[in-house]
Amino acid sequence: MTTTLFYTLAVGSLVGMAGGILGSFALLRRMALVGDALSHVALPGLALGLLFHFNPFIGATCLLIFGTTIIWAVEHQTKLPVDTIVGVMFVMALALGILLTPQADLLEALFGNIANVSFADFWVASSLALMISAVLLLFSKKFTLTMISEELARSVNFKPHMIEFLFLTIFALVVAIGIKLTGVLLMGALIIIPAAIARNLAQSMRMYIFLSAVLSVAGAVVGILLSSLFGWPPGPTFVLFLGALFFASIFFKK
Amino acid sequence: MAFLELKNVSVKIKNEEVLQNVSFTAEKGETIAIIGPNGAGKTTLLKSLLGFLPYQGAIKFEGKPVVGYVPQRIDIDRDLPLTVQEFLDLVPTFFKKPRNTPKQVLGFVNLSETFLLRSISTLSTGEFQRILIAFALMNQPDVLLFDEPTASIDIAGQETIYELLHRLQDVQHFALILISHDLTMVYRYADKVLCLNRTQICFGVPREVLTPEELQKIYGETLFYHHAHEINPESSV
Repeated sequence: MTTTLFYTLAVGSLVGMAGGILGSFALLRRMALVGDALSHVALPGLALGLLFHFNPFIGATCLLIFGTTIIWAVEHQTKLPVDTIVGVMFVMALALGILLTPQADLLEALFGNIANVSFADFWVASSLALMISAVLLLFSKKFTLTMISEELARSVNFKPHMIEFLFLTIFALVVAIGIKLTGVLLMGALIIIPAAIARNLAQSMRMYIFLSAVLSVAGAVVGILLSSLFGWPPGPTFVLFLGALFFASIFFKK
Repeated sequence: MAFLELKNVSVKIKNEEVLQNVSFTAEKGETIAIIGPNGAGKTTLLKSLLGFLPYQGAIKFEGKPVVGYVPQRIDIDRDLPLTVQEFLDLVPTFFKKPRNTPKQVLGFVNLSETFLLRSISTLSTGEFQRILIAFALMNQPDVLLFDEPTASIDIAGQETIYELLHRLQDVQHFALILISHDLTMVYRYADKVLCLNRTQICFGVPREVLTPEELQKIYGETLFYHHAHEINPESSV
């Protein structure tokens, strides 16, 4: 195994783990599509990084946190319908991103290429993925109860609005670090599909979170190995592999 | 000072006054029933007590009590992978009091230990209501707020939700404030009744304040009047 492949597998697995754990909470509240839409916001950020020669990861992160704050504010500070606004804003972000992104880099931004990950990006993404996984597990009870019932969460003195903000911020960070693996368009899949499979199979929350993380890591490893063997892009390989597993899991639904 | 005291509590939602000038007191261990027609502000009052809604006026508890809350229902997806044990363990520990264990609270609500491993999505409505009560009992509450126990869904052969709450109160000594549509149960178990129809119509011992005239004022329809009139307080005790 080459050193590059080893690094790619390591970062892919760690990002996959963070995405899998995150997805298990996101699916508790059917937040899957908000997350998918949110990932599109990263594109103009990547584009700005490419155009003005700074690390695109920083541009993506800044815009994602901005997008997250807007979702949260619309949800809690206004009476506007969240779905519609989120839908319109994020398709606009995608359009703006496509206009701004240099043609040569567009395909990579949309569909990812983890093989191109730099040494600095490797360390940043890996350590962020580990930290995110730890925070998600640490706050797992708060996230779970808030996602299930805001009222019950408040009744035991949790602060649902703050917990949601923390969750959305983590969501944005996972999208930012996952973009190299799957690209902007397929990032939602990294978060949604492993959790959806786990939900079909698990009987308990502990098993659900564990399975979601394991499946995500497995998907990343298979995607990266197949892409290195056959020269396919890893993002779409990952998504198709897990998509197939999802349909298989329907037959084993508990 | 009373355990709980409300003075001129009013609540506005979107500039509409949904609750006006509610004032009452509750003592430790008492049962207060809140009655009134749909849209009378019963749930609004309960949510104000919980601190979920902004209000005008004053709500004062003696000290800082642990408040348990049982919502009317929560919408849970049928395929939610969460066991009863995991659900009950979501309750954090308050530093003031030792937390009950999930096994203990299941015992309180008359469910066997085998329920710990059941997925909450497989429970019947009656079983789930008991689990919600168990959830509220985890931190040994000083007051339990209950948004409308549903009597019709009891598990056959077991005590009703009202009997269960009454028994628990004898042991745990919490004050109970509940919304109810069941006047027979109000007569039987409530120490005091608060009648609401956006404003406070009456407050006091059920036998004294729930006169046919007051009931007509609360519900405003002859249908309810006849229904209430049929309930003879003597026969239901």
